Amino acid sequence: MIDLFIVKWILAFSPILTVLILMIFRNWSGSRAGAAGWFVSLIAAILVFGAHPTLLAYSQMKGVLLALNVLYIIWAALLLYHVVNETGAIKEIGIGIQRFSGDKAIQLLIFGWIFASFLQGVAGYGVPIAVVAPLLVGLGFSPVVAVAVPAIGHSWSVTFGSMGASFQALMAVSGLESSYLAPWSATLLGITTFLCGIFAVHVYGGWKMVKHSLPAILIIGTAMAATQYLLAVFGMWTLGGLGASLVGLCCGLAVAKLKMYNQTQSLDTQSEMGIWWALSGYFILIIVVSSGVMIPAVKSWLGQVNLTVSFPEIVSLEGWVTKAGNGKSINVFGHGGALLLYASILSYYLYRGKGFYKPDTLKRIVANTIKNGVPTSLGIVSMICFAMIMDHCQMIFILAEGINRIFGTIYPLFSPWVGLLGAFMTGSNTNSNVVFGVLQQETAEMAGISVALILAAQTTGGALGSMIAPAKILVGCSTVGLSGQEGPVLKATLRYGLIITSIVGIIALLASLIV
Amino acid sequence: MFRGFKMTLKTILLVLMLVIPFFLYAAAAYGSTFQTNLLLILMIGNMLVVLKKG
Repeated sequence: MIDLFIVKWILAFSPILTVLILMIFRNWSGSRAGAAGWFVSLIAAILVFGAHPTLLAYSQMKGVLLALNVLYIIWAALLLYHVVNETGAIKEIGIGIQRFSGDKAIQLLIFGWIFASFLQGVAGYGVPIAVVAPLLVGLGFSPVVAVAVPAIGHSWSVTFGSMGASFQALMAVSGLESSYLAPWSATLLGITTFLCGIFAVHVYGGWKMVKHSLPAILIIGTAMAATQYLLAVFGMWTLGGLGASLVGLCCGLAVAKLKMYNQTQSLDTQSEMGIWWALSGYFILIIVVSSGVMIPAVKSWLGQVNLTVSFPEIVSLEGWVTKAGNGKSINVFGHGGALLLYASILSYYLYRGKGFYKPDTLKRIVANTIKNGVPTSLGIVSMICFAMIMDHCQMIFILAEGINRIFGTIYPLFSPWVGLLGAFMTGSNTNSNVVFGVLQQETAEMAGISVALILAAQTTGGALGSMIAPAKILVGCSTVGLSGQEGPVLKATLRYGLIITSIVGIIALLASLIV
Repeated sequence: MFRGFKMTLKTILLVLMLVIPFFLYAAAAYGSTFQTNLLLILMIGNMLVVLKKG
């Protein structure tokens, strides 16, 4: 006689399994796979878990409110990236960095670790690997190394990169504040910073090169990890990835001048706009976000308009109760996305005033933003909406209870692997947090483990999934002529991804014994 | 031209995906079963198109 709980557990897992199978084995896009997951959750919810029209209506509205919080940041981040990129600034920043050192280890660290993380901080979506890989090939590295290094090097910055979109998603689905989630998330990701730097160098030159670059890794890693931690903990998590990598860049350029690494390199490439103008858009961003978050008068003035929707108590036909309360509110003018939007507009007018744009640039900026934003948004909205159906029908609770029955108090060891799995399958830390965030939260609550620690492990694992996500590896390989030959790259990044995730799992388990 | 049409369609699908739940909420809040069911059918139809063309 099959235990009814096991059957219910399998049915509760079926929407997630559907998404994973379709994306891995059928190569479906996130939007199509998300829609498929939505249908499976709808059918299971209606037939088995007691969903009814009113429950579905309220759950979808809650899902959209959560999704809008995430999309606001994603779209504004994309807009800012295209505003800056249309000036050629990204390429300019690369040229500026190249002038500083001819030491191979330092070049790898500056481009593959720091600059890749900077690009993750401002854009995300495979941009770090796609931009940095050709730059490394230009410096004389093999194509496999050129793709593997930024894939490994940028992973630590994914959660607080893309203006904190993945972290925002984690807050949105868990309903928890940044002040609660940030400390542990930034701690685990801070440890990962060093590991990513070490293995980014190891993939090229083995332990000998790691030994040579260890002082640089320790100095730069400490600066970046500490900056990310402080920014995240003091409420400026949207700047976590960007701020940390900018500080890392300054440290890296200073370290390049140390006697042991000081080998200058002359370049044929001419600089057109200068590195400081190239970075000016991001300086504006830092000023705008800092003002919006840290100056009380500005924060309170911007926070006057809030979109808030209240929901009644919702009871499924099986008796599962979702308590009454407000859905995720949106601070229309003070949201992280709004601050990004202001920075984008100011940067646009600055660059236009300086004559850095060609004709019809605005049209291209808008078109490219929409082209990048729409497919991603379809996937995110459908996945969040099906996660809400699951949440309102006890499906997430059942999954968590099943996991708790098997793993109990050693669950922290496995929690980053859940995040890694989600990101590997969906290609996105954000999607991984959306799909597995609530599950991890409920499992932690059931096992009596710190929710902040488990969600930190979830998002860290999700960030590390970026280095092995097939979608991102494919993009990187296509930029250096390795299309169809992704195997060696994935083999390299998979090895390091599994090692780092194991270390994070052990740290999470040890921490759970103390916290 | 075909790529432009595909992007326009995806944009419309996204807008519908974001807007329909607001009407669903209003219908459910006012206790209108018929309208709730109708809008759910519309949302299902929208998702079907995303499944096919997304």
